[in-house]
Parts: sequence; structure tokens; C-alpha cells
Amino acid sequence: MSPDPWIWIGAFLTLMIFSFLYKDNPFYKFGEHLFVGVANGYYIALYWHNSLKPNLFDQLAAGNYIYIVPLLLGLMYFTRFIPKVSWLVRIPIGFMIGWGAGISIPAYFQAEILRQLQGTVVTPESFIDPTNGIWAMIILIGVVCTLIYFFFSREHKGFLGHTSRLGIIFIMIGFGASFGYTVMARVSLLIGRIQFLLGPWLGLIQ
Amino acid sequence: MKWYDIISKIDRRIIYLLLTIFVILPFFIPFTIPQNIMPQTRKLFDFVESIPPKDKAVIISFDYTPQTMPECRPMAIALLKHCFARNIPVIGVSFDPQGPGLAVEAFATVVDELNSCATSSSDSIMYGRDYVYLGWKSGRLAALLEMGESIVSVFPVDHFRNAVDSFPLMQRITNYKNISIAIILAAADYPIDWIRYPQTRYGVKVGAGLTAVMAPQYYPYVQTGQVSGMMSGMKGAAEYEKLVLDHGYARILGTAETGMNSQSMIHILIMAFIILGNVGYFFSRKK
Repeated sequence: MSPDPWIWIGAFLTLMIFSFLYKDNPFYKFGEHLFVGVANGYYIALYWHNSLKPNLFDQLAAGNYIYIVPLLLGLMYFTRFIPKVSWLVRIPIGFMIGWGAGISIPAYFQAEILRQLQGTVVTPESFIDPTNGIWAMIILIGVVCTLIYFFFSREHKGFLGHTSRLGIIFIMIGFGASFGYTVMARVSLLIGRIQFLLGPWLGLIQ
Repeated sequence: MKWYDIISKIDRRIIYLLLTIFVILPFFIPFTIPQNIMPQTRKLFDFVESIPPKDKAVIISFDYTPQTMPECRPMAIALLKHCFARNIPVIGVSFDPQGPGLAVEAFATVVDELNSCATSSSDSIMYGRDYVYLGWKSGRLAALLEMGESIVSVFPVDHFRNAVDSFPLMQRITNYKNISIAIILAAADYPIDWIRYPQTRYGVKVGAGLTAVMAPQYYPYVQTGQVSGMMSGMKGAAEYEKLVLDHGYARILGTAETGMNSQSMIHILIMAFIILGNVGYFFSRKK
């Protein structure tokens, strides 16, 4: 067993959280509240020391008074709590929306629409390797059928009905893959904790 | 109560108990379930393998969190061993506030292990010469774009408050032109920002090491080549560990490979429960 008190604290907190699997209890509640408190404290300290202090207050202290502008913009968010001047909050929100839209729209189109469309197009080069060609065809059929499933301007009958049903199959396969990966992720978290309890705490495994 | 009612209404606590037993057993009963290397993991390994030594750096963005350590930490360890063994400079950054402590721990683990076998300064791993950890930065979109012009302007000081331009490594690595690939180890949707901004604007190659929950979302980007390679969850980490071991860059397997035995056992158990539940449901409906 580990002589390190921090390992023991970690082990007991892990067991406190796991105790919820049996039923809700005060040990679980203690662990949960402690986690929320510690996480809040960590974030406040990190943002103060790594963001607010060096990027704003140190700059103002050094005489860079242009930083009053972001300070005022930031403070305007708090005007929501003062009904008489709450309209001022629109200024920083407008600033953020303008900046965000300007920076995101071209990048989003390029990375997520044009490149993805390009990846769906089947060309003669796709069949240089026949296996790749087959997969390229499956991707094309999957994309088209899934899009048809979400086309609601006409009733899904006849050709539209058949293709949208094929689209549902592709969507279900996607959901199945996501579910499988989610199970794997959650089990990984359990394995990690068990490795910690059996290894560093109890010393039963390397 | 009929048998089909029993199997479709198993107490959840029994399921939890069986899950725990199935996770623990493989640690004490030695057996190995062979793991196939998935193409996206091999692509990432081959990409790092193709980077010339002591030339362009690899950026590793440590954006995972303590709860996702079982998946992402083995990726970080295997990746660092691979880069250091091939003399590829590494620049660590974090855009998730929970990343810094985990990044420092991962660097320390690998550097201590490699330096314990070193005989001279030339074959040891030195901070500032072979790697740096620049720390966490808020406002990641602006930071990601600005790093294309100058990394030092975004990170004037490193995580330990040293001037970044004083490091020999950072005197020759100025911006994305000197970066071979940025590999994002993430428990949240950080890699997409690297694809949208540094890749679209500066052509930065992007690799990813993701939690299994996020992996399906990134397959389309692997297919289009926007992601140059990807490790998916604990399985991806185990595959990368195996590749690193098989190529002689590590002496022992990491924690992901041992965890995969438990993972496989649990999957068998979950499949059995799904089948039992469906059989119970089918027979109860028939009645």
C-alpha cells in the first residue's frame, strides 16, 4: 500500500464517488461538492494568474492605457444586472458576434463544407485502388441518401421513400458506431480508476 | 416471475458488480487479446516517422483533462517517446485550462525515463533545446491564428515563466513554417479549431489523439486528409504504444495496452447483456 497521503486521499475520493453506484449517500455528496469547489477555485486562480493579470492589469499598470477599452467592454457585460443601463450589454455582445462571424465564416466554409464536399466527390482516380473506389461509392451513396432523408419539401414516397429509408440505415450505423465508441470511452474511465486503485494505492499491480 | 422477465430486469447493481469483476480479472489472470492496428493510427505513426530529425518541430497540444487521462495520457507518453527517440523537437501548448498540470507530468515522466539511460548531454533530453512547454493560453482562436505569425508573441513566457525567446529551440522555431504537424490530444472539440484556422490559413498539418466519444466525429476529416492521422480512445493509444515498442522506441508497453484486455472483456460482457435484454424483450412481447 502507498505511503503517500495524497494517493490515499485520491483513493478515498474515488470510492466516495463510486458509492453512488449502490445508492445516493452523504459520502458521494461530500465528494461531489468538494470536486465542484476545487474546480471553481482552480479555474479562478488559473484565469487570474494566466489571463486577467498578465493580459490586462499588468498592462494597465505599465501605462498601456489602450487596455481600458477591453476592460470597459468586459465590464459592460455586468450591466445586465442594472436594468436602467442593461442595454449597454449589446455593445460587447455585438463586438463579439462581429469578430466571431468574421473569423469563423470563411474558415468554416473552407474546412467543413468545401473540403468535405471535395472528399465526397468520386472521380476516376478513386478507382485506382478498387477497394478505395468501393468505399468512395459507399460514402457518396450514404451522403446523398442521408441528405434525402432530411429533405422534407416532398412526401417520402417512391424513389424518395426508398432512398430516405437507405439514409436511415446509414444514420443508424453512424449512431451504432458512436454508441460503441461511447461505451469504450466510459469503460476506459473505469479501467483508469481501477488501475489507480490496484496500482498506486494498493500496490497489487505494476 | 418468468425467466425472460428475470433476464430483462437484472438489478443494475449486479451489472456494476460484474463490470468491476470483469475489469479487475485481466490484471491478475495474464492473457493477451491481439489488437489490430487501425489505419488512422498507423497514418499518424508513419507521419511522425517521416519527419526528419532535428528539423521542424512537432506541436503537441495537451488539451485533455484528469478524468480522460486513461485514454489520452498513454497517447501523450507514447507520442513523446516516439518524438524524442527520433530527435524531433517538441513544443507543448495547452488551450484547455486543465491541461498544464497533466502536460508537465507527461513530459517529466518521459524525460526522466529517457534521461535515466543517457550517458552524455548529447543523448539526453534537455528543456529548451529538445522541448519546451509554453503553457496555457486563453482566447485560443486568436492565439492559434497569431501563432502563424509569431509563436513568441503569443507565448512570451513559458509555463515556468522563462522568456521563450531565450531558448535555443525557439530561436529557430518562429511560426507554423517551422512546424511539421500539430497533434492535439483532446477531451473536447479542440482539433476542429486547428483544422478551421491554422490549417485553412497556414496549411498546418493536424493530427489528433481523441477520447473514444469524440472519435466518430473526426473520421470524415481523416477521410478528406484534413486530419493526417488519429488515435481513437484507449484502443488508439494501445496501438500507438505497440507501434512505438515494435520499432524499438520504448522498452515496455504502456498502460493502455494492459487496459485493453479489460476493455475487451467488458465489451464481451456488454454484448452478452444486450443479447439477454433483447431475448427477454422478444419473449415477453411474444407472450
